[in-house]
Amino acid sequence: MDSYNIMFVVLAGIIVASSVLTVVTRSIMRAATYLFFALLGTAGMYFLLGYTFLGAVQTMVYAGGIIVLYVFAILLTRGTKDRISENTRSKIALSAVLSLVGFGLVGFILFTANLRHEVLTAPDENVMTMTRLGEHLLSTDNGGYLLPFEAVSLLLLACIVAGVMIARKR
Amino acid sequence: MFNFSIVTDWLHTLLLSFLPEWATVLTESVLVAVVIISLAAIFAMVLIYMERKVCAFFQCRLGPNRVGKWGLLQLFADVFKMLQKEIIKMRQTDRFLHDLAPFFVITASMITIACLPWNRGAQILDFNIGVFFFLAVSSVSVVGILLAGWGSNSKYPLIGAMRSGAQIISYEISIGLTMLTVICLTGTMQISEIVEQQYVEGWNIFRGHLPMLVAFLIYMIAGNAECNRGPFDLPESESELTAGYHTEYSGMHFGYFYLAEYMNLFISAGLATTVFLGGWAPLHIVGLDGFNQVMDYIPGAVWFVGKALFVVFLFMWERWTLPRLRIDHILTLEWKYLMPISMLNLVVMALVVAFGLHF
Amino acid sequence: MYYKDKSYIAGLADGIKSVAIGLKTTMRELFVKKITQQYPENRKELVMFDRFRGCLTMPHNEKNEHKCVGCGLCQNACPNDSITVTSEMVEEDGKKKKVLVRHEYNLGSCMFCNLCVLACPHNAITFDQSFENAVFDRSKLILQLNNPGSKVAEKPKPQLTPEMQAKIAAAKAAKAAKAAKETGTEGAEKSDDTPATKPARQYSPEMLAKIEAAKARKAAKEAAAKAATEQPATEQPKDVKPEETK
Repeated sequence: MDSYNIMFVVLAGIIVASSVLTVVTRSIMRAATYLFFALLGTAGMYFLLGYTFLGAVQTMVYAGGIIVLYVFAILLTRGTKDRISENTRSKIALSAVLSLVGFGLVGFILFTANLRHEVLTAPDENVMTMTRLGEHLLSTDNGGYLLPFEAVSLLLLACIVAGVMIARKR
Repeated sequence: MFNFSIVTDWLHTLLLSFLPEWATVLTESVLVAVVIISLAAIFAMVLIYMERKVCAFFQCRLGPNRVGKWGLLQLFADVFKMLQKEIIKMRQTDRFLHDLAPFFVITASMITIACLPWNRGAQILDFNIGVFFFLAVSSVSVVGILLAGWGSNSKYPLIGAMRSGAQIISYEISIGLTMLTVICLTGTMQISEIVEQQYVEGWNIFRGHLPMLVAFLIYMIAGNAECNRGPFDLPESESELTAGYHTEYSGMHFGYFYLAEYMNLFISAGLATTVFLGGWAPLHIVGLDGFNQVMDYIPGAVWFVGKALFVVFLFMWERWTLPRLRIDHILTLEWKYLMPISMLNLVVMALVVAFGLHF
Repeated sequence: MYYKDKSYIAGLADGIKSVAIGLKTTMRELFVKKITQQYPENRKELVMFDRFRGCLTMPHNEKNEHKCVGCGLCQNACPNDSITVTSEMVEEDGKKKKVLVRHEYNLGSCMFCNLCVLACPHNAITFDQSFENAVFDRSKLILQLNNPGSKVAEKPKPQLTPEMQAKIAAAKAAKAAKAAKETGTEGAEKSDDTPATKPARQYSPEMLAKIEAAKARKAAKEAAAKAATEQPATEQPKDVKPEETK
């Protein structure tokens, strides 16, 4: 048993516990906080795998961006007295079906991919360096990502233009 | 220059000789954590003393000079006072989030302080995405500030937290763009490589001349805003918001915010030192070999801390000169002035690098 | 930062310039000698500035004489009733004269407005620069300003110089003119244009005499003119008045 396995168990425990708490808690602000912990745990998992870039992106985009956005939205729209809406019968049934499908999918992958037999080993420190990543992102070769990159930037430009249109003074 | 990794390697082999591998890593992690926490506390205290003295001198006063020689013990008195104070428990608030919020802020500071290059080989976190990791982790503190505002269940903290959040998110863009300008020149994001490069080729602020100087000035403004200090301490403007997001905090919970402010100040200064002023790299002047050798005898840690404290002084100079801005002025300054200028600066830097105009 | 009356670039340049000026100012301040007074230590050499108002005093000369004539104007001027002037009438050389017995001042209720000092026609009282005025008993705050056994400083008798004689002559002329006017207007409202009410200090005696003479001439002329022109106008109110009283 090495330190990577211990760390994996700790992180997995954090992710599972905070995911459950996110769903179970009654206060929406607490749900956002637990979700934050779950996302940070995932980022920790990436760091454990030696994929530091994805870990940093996870921290920046999800923890620093999405959660802040959630919290801002909650602060701007809801009062402190607001609670999560009551459960109706159809809602419970729908969530049960969705949970079962998700669980089945994960279980199927777990048992068919023979992951149990893989031994978790300490991965290479620099799986993917920043330089290689940048070159891939902006290359037009086979496996280059320039077209998706430009498509995403076009989408963001459209978002900015729309934002300006909404916010402009008439 | 002395390489600190000799010490760490020796410690690693020593621990491995009588401990299993996982226990060695665990022991080292605990040691590193203790070092980080004590470094953070020491530097926060040094900076608080420095702030009070520098502020006083800028205002033609003497500053604290009653407790101990030159008021040196004043800080310890303040710390003990803070530790003794009661942590107030309020009704009608979300106690869990209220108590949790300071730890977000302080944890973000603790992790970012681990990225700083104290000496050759004396760096705790050294990923190949160094600067990006630094920016990513520092964005976590915004969540802490927002939770503090919400968890207090009071008007002033809420408004203060919203303003603070908007301000920090805005100024992160400028900081990111100035970092991109630097990375454009260095070609690497790894902090140890950035510093090593500056040791060989000279400090970035001289290498990158004009665009680097502009980037440094923008960083000096945005860095102050990131720490919620200086003319940008609007979330804490006493006359409007009492104490902003930490109005309802008392005792050591307030102490964490206070500590985090000064740690963030040191970290901002440390990052500026690392990327602009050469980190632990000593001052070298081309052609003066004797001078360069003498400079090499001064330890890298001294260089780093000295330069960081100099940048801290610049931050304080800025803070105690300019009056507080209004919230819309703060956002105008960022979105209409700093961001376009730093974008333009990035383009200029790219041209400079492409045509090889740097030193 | 946001200049509506300037273009973007001009506003930016202006902002940078003003920030640079501010930074220069504070940097200069950093090296200036600090003005902090470390009070209990520098108690010996600490000198308060001249305009500081510490405690009301009545300066006495070496012969234990003060300038107070006991007129009580300071007592009237005081908004807080902090001053109580006790005086008595003394007969001296066949003339009745007011003499100060006791000038009592309550430091506890004084608000240091300086009105008493301004009201004093003889510059007998003034504020000193003392500031350690705390005592343990409130009754100790009530002070007697005149020293026991002190008396009013005698003013030297004025010698009649030629200039002064000229002045007196001018004053007499003015008086005559006024009398002429008063007879002319037959007791209309008291005129304000009497000359020589406020002789300004900085004039030399010669100039003063000249001015007085000129003023007297002018006043006489005016009075004569007034008497001529206003005769019908002043008669009217005189006619109305009896009707009102009826």
